[in-house]
Amino acid sequence: MQDLKALHEAVLNGDAKTAKAVTEQALAAGIEPMKLVQEYMVPAMAEVGRRFECNEYFVPELLLAARAMKAALELIRPLLTASGVQPVARVALGTVKGDLHDIGKNLVAAMLEGGGYEVIDLGVNVTPEQFVAAVKEKGANIIAMSALLTTTMPAMKTTVDALQQAGVRQQVKVLIGGAPVTQKYADEIGADGFSESAAGAVAVAKKAVGN
Amino acid sequence: MSMFDTKGHTAVHDRRKPNTLKKLERLNTALRHQEPDRVPISDFFWGGFTKRWQQELGLPPDANPYYHYDLDWIVTVPNMDPWIRPFQTLKESADEVVVKTGFGSIMHKHFEFPMPEMRGWETDTFQKLESATFDDPADRRRFFEGGDNQIAGVGDGFQRNTPPWIETVKSLRPDFPVYGSIIEVSECLTRLIGQENAMLWMGEEPERMGAVINRIGEFYFETAKAEMAAAKGLLDGFVIWGDVAYKKCTFMSPRYWREYFKPWVAKITEHAHANGLPVIYHGCGNVKAIFQDYIDMKVDAYNPLEVKAGMDVLELRRQYGHGIGFCGNSDMQVWETGDHEAIRREVLRKLNAAKGGGYIFQSDHSVSSAVSGSTYDYIVKLVRDFGNYPIQLGEFEERL
Repeated sequence: MQDLKALHEAVLNGDAKTAKAVTEQALAAGIEPMKLVQEYMVPAMAEVGRRFECNEYFVPELLLAARAMKAALELIRPLLTASGVQPVARVALGTVKGDLHDIGKNLVAAMLEGGGYEVIDLGVNVTPEQFVAAVKEKGANIIAMSALLTTTMPAMKTTVDALQQAGVRQQVKVLIGGAPVTQKYADEIGADGFSESAAGAVAVAKKAVGN
Repeated sequence: MSMFDTKGHTAVHDRRKPNTLKKLERLNTALRHQEPDRVPISDFFWGGFTKRWQQELGLPPDANPYYHYDLDWIVTVPNMDPWIRPFQTLKESADEVVVKTGFGSIMHKHFEFPMPEMRGWETDTFQKLESATFDDPADRRRFFEGGDNQIAGVGDGFQRNTPPWIETVKSLRPDFPVYGSIIEVSECLTRLIGQENAMLWMGEEPERMGAVINRIGEFYFETAKAEMAAAKGLLDGFVIWGDVAYKKCTFMSPRYWREYFKPWVAKITEHAHANGLPVIYHGCGNVKAIFQDYIDMKVDAYNPLEVKAGMDVLELRRQYGHGIGFCGNSDMQVWETGDHEAIRREVLRKLNAAKGGGYIFQSDHSVSSAVSGSTYDYIVKLVRDFGNYPIQLGEFEERL
């Protein structure tokens, strides 16, 4: 069996084929799925995030690493679900109502999955009602919203208000991000966290859920 | 109505008005880093802003900020679709439309939302991208015939059968300095294959993707050359539309950008200069890591200099002196507040960058529908009141 460090390297270097192959071998050899996630894959994505923050990695490298992680996770996830293992948290993620941009959101999704979070990607143009439904029906405990335009940013506040009105605000953490979004705006609307970048989203999510 | 719905008010006209020649002199003097009579001003306007502005100021439905404020320059877009063909309508209702364009992208436009959504791409594998062949870059339909094109047709508005580009140029020319424009490779890739695939394939197959970038770069270089030739001296400048950065930094590594993207910007710029045309490069996001490269390429001015991406025109002036002109950087998020005191502070502070010329006053991207008509009215008045040379900004004076 290949040295498990090869899984770490495969994710770090964006080699989806090797990541999948090493994972298959490891699982066949009886290695615990959570060991693969916690000791090799999540640290690899954390290093990807660090390199991204330092401008050693850019969007292409981040997307490749996320794809390698996803390829390995696809083999592991069914096993984790079957054995009742819960993700770090369940994140319902989307671009807000009226906004149709998705690349930033997709990068955040990739980093959160890499950080051990379960991501429910609601897509673009997501209404406040859809975010509320993600909490009530899918058990999301983090709502992550993205907006690219100043004209769509107000939908973030509308969503926070909708969560309040639906009586579920206290059971979720609300994280926001996007080009025009600032910490000041996050504070104004009562969001629990704000991230300047996709890589930073994992740290913000971790802080928000108190892990 | 859309941002590029800028057909002129005059019929084909040989003679330019004296006021237009004055505006051209103003613009070119500023771009030469000399002080003109006053700071040039213009902008790019969302269709939603223009409608709001018309209603709030009680203006007729054909009123246009360029004419109303006698703004100092305007840009035009030819047909830059790789495949020149009508939009294929896939779905249509009173509220929205889904079309496949000449980029092969499936575009969804909801008429209430300011931006369209790209839902899919015909060129959805790397093999298809490598083997794709485009229509002739010098095809005369791009410049001399009307028809659908994605850049002009599916953006903040939706328009079919865009008039012939050359007629737009001729109709605007009597009243404005008119710039032609071209997209560079990054903008093509976003529309041709989607940003995510563009980034993924750059990471996966950097050299093979580099070869594709070079082929597309060559295509748009040839299109730019054909556009300048088609204009037969009617253009006053050239815009290169690019987008290689976001809030944090460049999408790809600066090294990769320099190897594959930069050479084509350099070639287009050189050719424009050989034709007597100054070049304004439009690129969103935080481009600090590659800003010196634009100076090295002798780009005449950089636009839009987004404040939300950390760009500040006074910092740039301090760092680069008059090595490059600036076009933009007035904070749209301040404009949207409607707070006159804050707007005055913002506008006057930015006018410091106009000392010694080298500055065209504009927003830090485009005027959104969240800006009120009276706010833009106020902003133009501020620039006209305080933008006369020698510039005196009182308490907002800053040393550069």
